[in-house]
Amino acid sequence: MIQTIHVGHLLRETVAAPYRNLVTRPTGAAVRNRIQEALAESGCLTALLDFSGIELLDFSCADEVVAKLLLAAEAAGGRFVVLQGLREDQREAIEHVLTHHGLAIAAVAPGDGHAGQRLLGWATPDARAAFACVCARGAVDARELAAALDWVLARGEAALEALSLHRLVRADGDRYHPLPTA
Amino acid sequence: MTRVIEVPATFDDRSFEQFAAAFGGWPPEEKVLLDARGAQWASPYGLLAMLTAGQALAEGKHERPLLTVPTSDEVKRYWARAGFFTYAAELFELHGKVPKAAAAGPSDVLLDVTPVRATEDVHEVVEKISQGASRILHGELGLEMKATLRFSMALSEACQNIVEHAGTSGWVAVQAYTFRRRLGRRVVVIAVSDAGIGFRRSLESTHAKRFGERWGDGAALEAALIQGVSRFRDPGRGQGLAFIKRFLDQWNGKISIRSGTARLAIVPPWDEDVPLAEHLAFFPGAQVQIIIPAQDAEAR
Repeated sequence: MIQTIHVGHLLRETVAAPYRNLVTRPTGAAVRNRIQEALAESGCLTALLDFSGIELLDFSCADEVVAKLLLAAEAAGGRFVVLQGLREDQREAIEHVLTHHGLAIAAVAPGDGHAGQRLLGWATPDARAAFACVCARGAVDARELAAALDWVLARGEAALEALSLHRLVRADGDRYHPLPTA
Repeated sequence: MTRVIEVPATFDDRSFEQFAAAFGGWPPEEKVLLDARGAQWASPYGLLAMLTAGQALAEGKHERPLLTVPTSDEVKRYWARAGFFTYAAELFELHGKVPKAAAAGPSDVLLDVTPVRATEDVHEVVEKISQGASRILHGELGLEMKATLRFSMALSEACQNIVEHAGTSGWVAVQAYTFRRRLGRRVVVIAVSDAGIGFRRSLESTHAKRFGERWGDGAALEAALIQGVSRFRDPGRGQGLAFIKRFLDQWNGKISIRSGTARLAIVPPWDEDVPLAEHLAFFPGAQVQIIIPAQDAEAR
């Protein structure tokens, strides 16, 4: 099951005004709290944070909403989080703050399956290559990944382990699945 | 005794130094009169400087200062349309006839003089600017559409610095005009000013030790703008100014920050400003100016 959280709705509920611009740290922190509440109440494995109702996302809010959500992994209740409906400038702001923190998240366009996922933020080149491979092929184990990328097995294992640690893929036994988004 | 501060005929970030020095130390001991009768033009930076001086005097419980309005009807009308007199009347005893602000059709004033006191004000500023920014930035200056959003982000971050760091309220104004002498092109100028504690005091408890004897207004500006530090220990802080710098680099823009007795600028090739000026006359709070020039045909 996938839960879609419309960030634009939460913003307007939080500030009690018809704003479409997600700006300022206090507003970002308040919206993040609402997201964490929604995640805590949900039984879904994956949450899609939909930014399509947001016009402007400034750095302060990218940091407060996305980076701090990932940093507070325990508050996310162990769920996987994917971003959806980002425009270029929003993607850029999120990419910047996540790189600054050494964090990463998956992003997808509305309606795209796992093949359309992009990785935003900081990841090693191996983790990026592994992420692209998992998204393109579907579930793989380390042996399949290593064969696909012409790597030794240990390199494939390390890359998948890193993706799993950052909750960018879902581990199920020795197989690693792309995050479901559609 | 009254100290008469002559408002420069052309009041911008350069002539600001003449204005700041005229106070002869801060706070001035005498009652202050800002004499703007000879004013011919003021940039948003100049307008906010006057309000900031008035605010600092009011917050320091000094005698209410006087302000004589410009003699030129055209200048008065322009200042009125920019919203200057609305707030000047709260801070100064105004002398001279002030026209009523009449907003008629599109103007070069993208954002009137607007107080920034709290988070809600930053929201209002961003909502307001997004309506007119694309007309000027894309239509007149030839910046890509995506630059409009980045411009609003830069504005948001600059205003948040007041709410988060100044310890008091401040002001913002945005205007487009032609930069004849320095550049010969249209520019958009964001001015943000507050009468607060300034960069040095804001960063002192967390960063002064690292700088040792070098610590001062200039070092504090360097730490904030060049090194991206913040008084908060939160590692996510300090990225706002870094983003503004990156955005301006892309569009050949300029940022300068003046605080206390120093002024630091990221200087583009078209300008001849010095990167760091120290030992200037003290002026309260912090004054930020961001300039984005029209893109030449090749850059478009």
